[in-house]
Amino acid sequence: MDDYYTTDRKMSTMQDTKIAASGVQVYYADNHAIKDVNVDIGDKTVTAFIGPSGCGKSTFLRCLNRMNDTIDICRVEGDIKIDGEDIYDKKVDPVQLRAKVGMVFQKPNPFPKSIYDNVAYGPKIHGLASSKADLDNIVEKALRRGAIWDEVKDRLHAPGTGLSGGQQQRLCIARAVATEPEVLLMDEPCSALDPIATAQVEELIDELRQNYAVVIVTHSMQQAARVSQKTAFFHLGNLVEYDDTDTIFTNPKDPRTESYISGRIG
Amino acid sequence: MNEHISSAYDRDLEQLQTLVIKMGGLVEAAILSSAEALAKRDVELAEQVRAGDKSIDALEMQINEEAARIIALRAPVSKDLRSILTTLRIAASLERVGDYAKNIAKRTSTLVDIPAIQGADTALRRMSKEVQVMLKDALDAYLRRDAVLSEEVRQRDLEVDQMYNALFREFLTFMMEDPRNITACMHLHFMAKNVERMGDLVTNMAEQVIYLSTGEMPDESRPKDDQTAFVSAPD
Repeated sequence: MDDYYTTDRKMSTMQDTKIAASGVQVYYADNHAIKDVNVDIGDKTVTAFIGPSGCGKSTFLRCLNRMNDTIDICRVEGDIKIDGEDIYDKKVDPVQLRAKVGMVFQKPNPFPKSIYDNVAYGPKIHGLASSKADLDNIVEKALRRGAIWDEVKDRLHAPGTGLSGGQQQRLCIARAVATEPEVLLMDEPCSALDPIATAQVEELIDELRQNYAVVIVTHSMQQAARVSQKTAFFHLGNLVEYDDTDTIFTNPKDPRTESYISGRIG
Repeated sequence: MNEHISSAYDRDLEQLQTLVIKMGGLVEAAILSSAEALAKRDVELAEQVRAGDKSIDALEMQINEEAARIIALRAPVSKDLRSILTTLRIAASLERVGDYAKNIAKRTSTLVDIPAIQGADTALRRMSKEVQVMLKDALDAYLRRDAVLSEEVRQRDLEVDQMYNALFREFLTFMMEDPRNITACMHLHFMAKNVERMGDLVTNMAEQVIYLSTGEMPDESRPKDDQTAFVSAPD
């Protein structure tokens, strides 16, 4: 009975808290986009944010690496701590923070550079490599973690934009992990990919869980069910329900969650 | 429960439910008819029950296929998933109940040539009636997702067990009094056991309905009173 997956999923509930958010409010000018969200995100766990368009899930995700700082009219209140440290503290450099909290976007967005340079860029600007050989190592390790090394090892200096969509997305994941982040945020990473590339990225997400806290925003309920151990359901800026993924998909507590995941009106 | 955005999904689920109710109706009729055939020594009715089991089996097949299709095409979750899982299990239990009714009808065909055992037919008929009402309520509870009614059905299995205990002792007495009663009593005992098992299966269905409406199986053990395993001789 104790097959691998069952045991694995149960373990996830015992992980330490990586990100602790409490009383988070986000405003876009007068629009109250996130309403008093409290959530503890576990380390070495895949946490999925689901909810209808405009429910605030991407907005909340972007609070976790201060991407919202770049939007002038956006105001974030409340506490977000990573490993107990307030990330909105004045002493925190957002650029350093984003090296620690990597992000992968909906559309693969490789730099218009070679595959090698795409991955080497982050480690270079953060001074993570002491020599060329060191950098080569970092690039190889990142590409292996991105599960794309075997496909690109013979053409590292070809442009990243020449890869297929699925490969580009895995390249972007390799780029995100090259700076040795601790948290990986993914905003609908598979919505532009075909089912095979999606399966490859999902497999990769499951592997990344060994080392990182992964937070994924997805419109595909089945994807949330497949890859995550914890699921949070957002609706109209509220965090409606947050529980083990098994529970959310077999016996959710809130009727709004039930309606949303089973495709009902209302 | 709100409707699905896809109305075809709702129609699929409703159709599956309709098949279960149809199957349930056939099984209820088989329970009553098998008991009536015994009481009236009606070989023709017994024959009808035996033949009718094919339709029950065919419905179960249809439910299995339909459920597999919905799972493959709709990837149901939560209540929808529980509804399909429950439906599959209820259909399997109904099929077993149908088999027991068929077995009673078979034995009836044998019993018509043997002198009756006093009071046995009436007692079996009462027991069958009890189980049929339990089944009817379990199916109503299934349609209404009614955990309270299901729990009530579950409790009522105690009465069926007690009826079976009484019959067991009676048959034992009859057999000890006169060995010529043995053949009839053996058959009648199997029939009583069949009805007792039907009660257990209906109880399982009621438990499935509780799972369907609450998301959890009832944990406390239900009342049971089949003591026949410990009977050595009549008092």
